[in-house]
Amino acid sequence: MPFWRRESAIPYLLLLPALAIMALVVAFPLIFSLYTSFTGYRLVRPDSLYDWVGLRNYSRILQDYDFWVAFGRTVLFLTVVLNVEFLLGLGIALLINRITWGQRTLRTIMMFPMMFSPILVGFQFKFMFNDNIGIVNNALQSLGLSDGAIAWLVDGKLAFFSIAFAEVWMSTSVFAILLLAGLFAMPRDPLEAAKVDGCNAWQTFRHITLPFLMPFAYIAMAIRSLDVARAYDIVTVMTDGGPAGRTELLWTLIARVGYDNSRMGLANAMAYVSTILSILFTWYFYRKLVAARRYMGGAQ
Amino acid sequence: MTATVESQRSKALKRAGLTALTFLLMVVMCVPGLWVVLSAFRPNAEILAKPPVWIPQNPTFDNFRKIFGLGTDQVAIPVGSYFMNSLIIALTSTAIALMIGMAGGYAFARYRFRGKGGIFLGLMLFRAVPGIALSLPVFIIWSKMGIIDTKLGLIIVYVSLNVPFTIWLIDGFFRQIPLSLSEAAQVDGCTRWQAYWKIEFPLARSGIAAAGVFAFLTSWNEFALASQLTRSTTSKTLPVGLLDFTAQFTIDWAGMCAMAVIIIVPALILTFLVQKHLIAGLTFGGVKG
Amino acid sequence: MAEITLDKVVKKYGGLDVVHGIDLQIAHEEFVVLVGPSGCGKSTTLRMIAGLEDISGGLVKIGDRVVNDLPPRKRNISMVFQNYALYPHMNVRENLGFGLKIAGEATASIVKRVDEAAEILGLTPLLDRTPAELSGGQRQRVAMGRAIVRRPDVFLFDEPLSNLDAKLRGQMRAEIKKLHQKVRTTVVYVTHDQVEAMTLADRIVVMRDGRIEQVGSPMDVFNHPRTTFVATFIGSPPMNLLPATISGGAVRLADGTAVPIPDRLSDRVHEGRRVTLGIRPDDISPVGHGLSQDGPGAEVEMEVELAEPLGMESLIYTRLAGQEVQAKLYGPRLVQPGERLSFRMALDRAHLFDAETGRSVRED
Repeated sequence: MPFWRRESAIPYLLLLPALAIMALVVAFPLIFSLYTSFTGYRLVRPDSLYDWVGLRNYSRILQDYDFWVAFGRTVLFLTVVLNVEFLLGLGIALLINRITWGQRTLRTIMMFPMMFSPILVGFQFKFMFNDNIGIVNNALQSLGLSDGAIAWLVDGKLAFFSIAFAEVWMSTSVFAILLLAGLFAMPRDPLEAAKVDGCNAWQTFRHITLPFLMPFAYIAMAIRSLDVARAYDIVTVMTDGGPAGRTELLWTLIARVGYDNSRMGLANAMAYVSTILSILFTWYFYRKLVAARRYMGGAQ
Repeated sequence: MTATVESQRSKALKRAGLTALTFLLMVVMCVPGLWVVLSAFRPNAEILAKPPVWIPQNPTFDNFRKIFGLGTDQVAIPVGSYFMNSLIIALTSTAIALMIGMAGGYAFARYRFRGKGGIFLGLMLFRAVPGIALSLPVFIIWSKMGIIDTKLGLIIVYVSLNVPFTIWLIDGFFRQIPLSLSEAAQVDGCTRWQAYWKIEFPLARSGIAAAGVFAFLTSWNEFALASQLTRSTTSKTLPVGLLDFTAQFTIDWAGMCAMAVIIIVPALILTFLVQKHLIAGLTFGGVKG
Repeated sequence: MAEITLDKVVKKYGGLDVVHGIDLQIAHEEFVVLVGPSGCGKSTTLRMIAGLEDISGGLVKIGDRVVNDLPPRKRNISMVFQNYALYPHMNVRENLGFGLKIAGEATASIVKRVDEAAEILGLTPLLDRTPAELSGGQRQRVAMGRAIVRRPDVFLFDEPLSNLDAKLRGQMRAEIKKLHQKVRTTVVYVTHDQVEAMTLADRIVVMRDGRIEQVGSPMDVFNHPRTTFVATFIGSPPMNLLPATISGGAVRLADGTAVPIPDRLSDRVHEGRRVTLGIRPDDISPVGHGLSQDGPGAEVEMEVELAEPLGMESLIYTRLAGQEVQAKLYGPRLVQPGERLSFRMALDRAHLFDAETGRSVRED
């Protein structure tokens, strides 16, 4: 019998379309971009695609101060944003879990920011943080908390804060919703056993609730790690990397080098660094998720 | 006696605190979106007013009329075309991604095969490639293939963007359906194909719909790839079109708010319809071994 | 006619053998119960008969047909699953009629046969409910109804009663028995519960580690267990097993207590053979409180460690030759821990097993 008619071939046949489209749109372009990253390809000079430069793009990146600043800023941004999202999400989940009314309505409301287009979130906060007509400054001035207009998106540090705020607003729900689902699914017996065994509220949370929630937190992390690069949209619309490159992230830098300066070879080398970063990040949390699941499976 | 009164009082206090905190939370969640929506119905003068006008005084549809080119003073932004582009691209890519995802998700949920874990992880890792990083080679290749700045080019990209997560969700929904139902159907005389369409598919239907909505919204909201792969009104989508308002040194806040509403409203309605299944899909897909 | 033949049937998962070449003949209209502890391969065997598992080796025949490569739908069987596997999106009527509809039966005929089956199982008032609106016992009945409505050659039951509480289980057991008397069909029934096996089966197949340990009628298996495994698995409370040696024409236990060799086994053993004496709690009773007062026996004095009064009888935990032994006291008498009583061991139903192989000495 040919392979494709056997029973054992069915799952592969079912997966074939998925693998084919991923190969066409992701794997093949990634191989191509790997090649490009070893050339001096510029969009304006098509024949430069065959201009093999070896590791020059990568060595240039290594010495590129702007790149490393953007790289460091991206890592800092992700660290801050993900930790804040996790802690806030945990807090919100615990809060809603304690409330006895309207849990489902609250959960639905929480769902909405997740479904906003990131470009829209960026625009929305650009509008709100606008120094002249923004609601934030207007509110602060009306309340007498500030006398002048605060330049939220013009000052480097404040702009970074504003962007992080937008990102946190958009994505905290991912954590809150998944952790809340975890709390809803939590069996009562271990909690009661812990109470009988003399644990106080904090100890119960630390030793029973939190370990139970961790797989849910890892799912949230894994999901988030798939789309952290959406921050590109927010930054593009809010500051476009400005003022003077003070909010430049890896992704905005890649776009600038590749499209605005049309230095595709160099941009592809940068893109490869950011791709590997993202993949490692996802892989790490996926492993954590699998491990946590096995650990939980042992307890059941 | 006093002790109980005191503990009751502290309980009431605690509850009031919780309520207040929740209220604050909801304000933070809702106000940004609400403010944009409110502003979409204000005349530009009111948006720029100082001190601010909190409640719209003269609610108006002028902003919408303007961006669709219906009013007297028109904006030169073809929002209607963008809307149609977005709709066609998102619907088509969702339909294709769902078909591919249903096959793949079923394979992961129901079959044991060599390389299963590796393939699943591989799909997820592909999904993790940042859109802007992916856009560089795709931009070059699509240009050579002549599908740059076409709906088709973006549809293909969005299908691949949605397939991994669709598979993840649908895998989870199928796993919630006991295997013995399909077995019972086969004993009852069904082929595996019939068992799928008569038993398993109807039971997973709402979950698959939720996965579809998720895919639709991902396409509907995507910006990084669309901003590089589209150029003209034949293929530009709403999120890319939003930037048209900021092209000059001035920003047309009113028009932008109106356009934002056009992007938000379908997203809100769809989210509301499937939120229950979506949450179930996200959690079960990941936790149940 | 639907006899079932298993010929050296093997199941492998990867490199792991789960079923090691089973041979079994099941007669037309026979009720056969596969019983054994979890992991013994009984469910796998049943699923191979159903066509839900690939057969790694050997042949499965239903009637005259080898069915190894036939999908379930072509085997003309029906199956009741452990979790019932009712289709949640169909009401009871649709659940019952689903198989007929798939087979392309005319609507009128479906209605008639569904009504008949519902009548037999008392489901008529429930026909328009969905599975979610049914109790456990009712779901169980719907699952059985779905099985009988298609008039298959073979019924397969996979631990159908294990999700019910004890009282309902007894009730459903009786219903299954009655059902089989009404619709005479070949039945293969899998359970880990020896009570179900004893009460339902025409023949019991005791399985262990992917092999058949013993096949026989319930009373045969109960009275003549071929191995110590069967002896302890069938019958509750389980048979007492005491290590012993044949010495001086008697069975001598570890502490030197001598018990006469049961007459029917005396020519099966020789001096010095190491054996295991098997004796059911029903056959060890305080003198004057047992089932049989005459026949061959032995008296020993033992101390009561624990007594569980069950009304008209008590289960007594005691110790003989350093081993815990369960005994039964018939009659409404209470005994206290610490009491020393004289017990009579009735030996006409005692068993001797080889100490090495665990096989009954009758098998030599």
